[in-house]
Amino acid sequence: MSELLAKIAECIEFGKINKAAPYPPQMKGQDGADEFTAKAIEEGVNAQDILTEGLMVGMQKVGVKFRENKVFVPQVLMSAKAMSTAMLHLKPFFASGAVKQKGTFIIGTVEGDLHDIGKNLVSMMVEGNGYKVVDLGTDVKAEQYIAALKENDNAIVGLSALLTTTMVNMEKITKAIKEELPGAIVTIGGAPVTEDFCEKIGADSYAADPQGLVEYLDSKVA
Amino acid sequence: MKGLELIKQAFALQEVERVPWVPFVGVHGGHLTGVDAETYLKSADEIVKGVSKSIEEYNPDGVPVVFDLQIEAEILGCDLQWAPHNPPAVISHPLALGKTLADLKIPSITDGRIPVAVEATKVLREKYPDVALYGLVTGPFTLALHLMGTDIFMKLFEAPDEVNEVMAFCTKVANKMSEYLIDAGCDIIAVVDPMTSQIDPMTFESFVTPYCSEIFSYVREKGKLSSFFVCGHAQQNIEAMCNCKPDNVSIDENIPLDFVKEIALKKGISFGGNMKLTVVLLMGDEDDSRENAMECLDMGGKKGFILAPGCDLPMDTPPANIKAVSELVHDPYKQDIVRELDKKESTLEILNMKDYGQADKVIVDIITLDSESCAPCQYMVEAVKRVAPQFDGVVEWREHAIKKMDAVTFMSSLMVKNIPTICIDGKIEFVSQIPPKAELVAAIQKRINAKLKLKIQQRKSKILLLCSDEDECTSIKQNIHRAITELGKDVEVKVISDKEKMAKYGVTNGPAVVTVNYKLKSEGTEPSLDVMKEWIKEL
Repeated sequence: MSELLAKIAECIEFGKINKAAPYPPQMKGQDGADEFTAKAIEEGVNAQDILTEGLMVGMQKVGVKFRENKVFVPQVLMSAKAMSTAMLHLKPFFASGAVKQKGTFIIGTVEGDLHDIGKNLVSMMVEGNGYKVVDLGTDVKAEQYIAALKENDNAIVGLSALLTTTMVNMEKITKAIKEELPGAIVTIGGAPVTEDFCEKIGADSYAADPQGLVEYLDSKVA
Repeated sequence: MKGLELIKQAFALQEVERVPWVPFVGVHGGHLTGVDAETYLKSADEIVKGVSKSIEEYNPDGVPVVFDLQIEAEILGCDLQWAPHNPPAVISHPLALGKTLADLKIPSITDGRIPVAVEATKVLREKYPDVALYGLVTGPFTLALHLMGTDIFMKLFEAPDEVNEVMAFCTKVANKMSEYLIDAGCDIIAVVDPMTSQIDPMTFESFVTPYCSEIFSYVREKGKLSSFFVCGHAQQNIEAMCNCKPDNVSIDENIPLDFVKEIALKKGISFGGNMKLTVVLLMGDEDDSRENAMECLDMGGKKGFILAPGCDLPMDTPPANIKAVSELVHDPYKQDIVRELDKKESTLEILNMKDYGQADKVIVDIITLDSESCAPCQYMVEAVKRVAPQFDGVVEWREHAIKKMDAVTFMSSLMVKNIPTICIDGKIEFVSQIPPKAELVAAIQKRINAKLKLKIQQRKSKILLLCSDEDECTSIKQNIHRAITELGKDVEVKVISDKEKMAKYGVTNGPAVVTVNYKLKSEGTEPSLDVMKEWIKEL
């Protein structure tokens, strides 16, 4: 069983989607995340174990490599694609409650900003680490974040921005959220965002990379 | 030397007398003239006005004409969403929506907003023949991403041939754009390809290097210079970028400047950057901007370096911040000041100066960079030096050259911000301007008068008459009282006849007279040890 989970983790780490996928070249022709996950379920491996000891282990490795500049966006996207393919097999178990998620993360690119590459990447990584992700899309206003927070108890919210001008909106949104929901936890990220800026606007956390965010979320739900 | 000539020198890796300065004014030009981003980027007139204003205000050696990476994408069928404070954003990707490469044509010079860019370039060329004009073209990878959407990332692995075809097309577009802009009068073609910051060196070499190299070689054939702009975390690709053989690479604050410097110079390529756009230029003040510019200037050095912001200036960047940088660039004396202050500020202790200037003498402090090497400082010191002897020992002056740490501490403690500055008894009196002799004399005299007045108010005197037998000193007592009355002084007379008390004054036999001066030195404050010492020295 643990060998199968290790295989799943490896496929996620290297972005091997299924047998037909040409990437990565060194795994050409081998089974991928798709096949191994199906096989694990068939063999009666606990769905929760497939998630936490297979998929999440692989995703964590990618997250760390991304942080260390060993892999970049394209590789992470391949891993995420492998992850979501595997997740299709686990869907029924989420619905039945046999697999539990660690918490809920609400994410959106802030008002005025339409860029979604970074936001999508973070969203996939957070999901791949065992969280339910509510993606509000781009150009998201304060009220939308607040509404989503009200709908999802104990959720943590993440604001993304790519532009220097829209990152300024993060301050406005953070203030609006904190005013309406004083206990809400607001995390921020995006190319122009810095730790200094985070402190300046009164957000709770800044992460330079998705793995940093995952670690922060883990510390909050633990 | 300045402008294009200076930039050429830097591009050629020759030692320059001053680092060239290229503020990347994009939609910020609209901020300078009061129009929104959309109006600005759609009108050659507005661009000319904005860029002209930036040239007047910021005194640059070079400027970009139009900073908008969506011009080509818009023509090729990407929908744009316009915003008042930003360049527009691409919101649809034609190749992800069913179009094929065969449907796309290389833009002609009359398509979309190319005429705006071309027209603005022509007018600015005519108006500013010496300023280097940067013509910006969208880098092929960024344009390919505009066309394909984020699918491009996965297709790098799943359909590499398709990506290569799109890249080849985008390269043709970039070459054509370069041609239009060069013909209109641009001196430098900047290939702006920020999305390459998202890929690893191997992917860069496979999918970007062949195409960008082609553009740079085309620009070289046209006899013009080129620059490779990449904003974002592109540290991993700097070497690969240099290998594409641009004349210059320009990066933002995500990459340490010294790292880029080392690689670029080794490859024989000039480099530029990397002032902090947001935390400093947009949100900081003039001091922050100067400090950051100084760091860049010192790190970049005078060989092969162009000072520039990391990317295009956010629209609402305070012009005062950019002006502060411009002044710094053109004034080595200002650079010395910023450099000295920078070095020392971090370890600074602030002295408690609230009691400073309470001594009898009037103290004139001159805060300078160093009067031997800085002319304005020298004049200020000389002005004080000339005037001080007139006060015959009452005025003492000192120079505090901030090249020494304790002088910086002193300066900060007195809350002096500019150099040179004259303080009289710890109060800032003359900032930067050398005072005319009469004004300086008047200021010192005013302080002397104030002190004198205070002194009179603060003095209290006593005469102690020591005698064991009251009768023995009746006549002395009468004389004392008469003297006091005749002189009109406020003096208290006290008779001490107790033997023990008399002994305390060193008197064993009367009669004896002791005069006592009291002087109120402080009230309602706790004088520091240093100040106490000064007072005790006076006794």
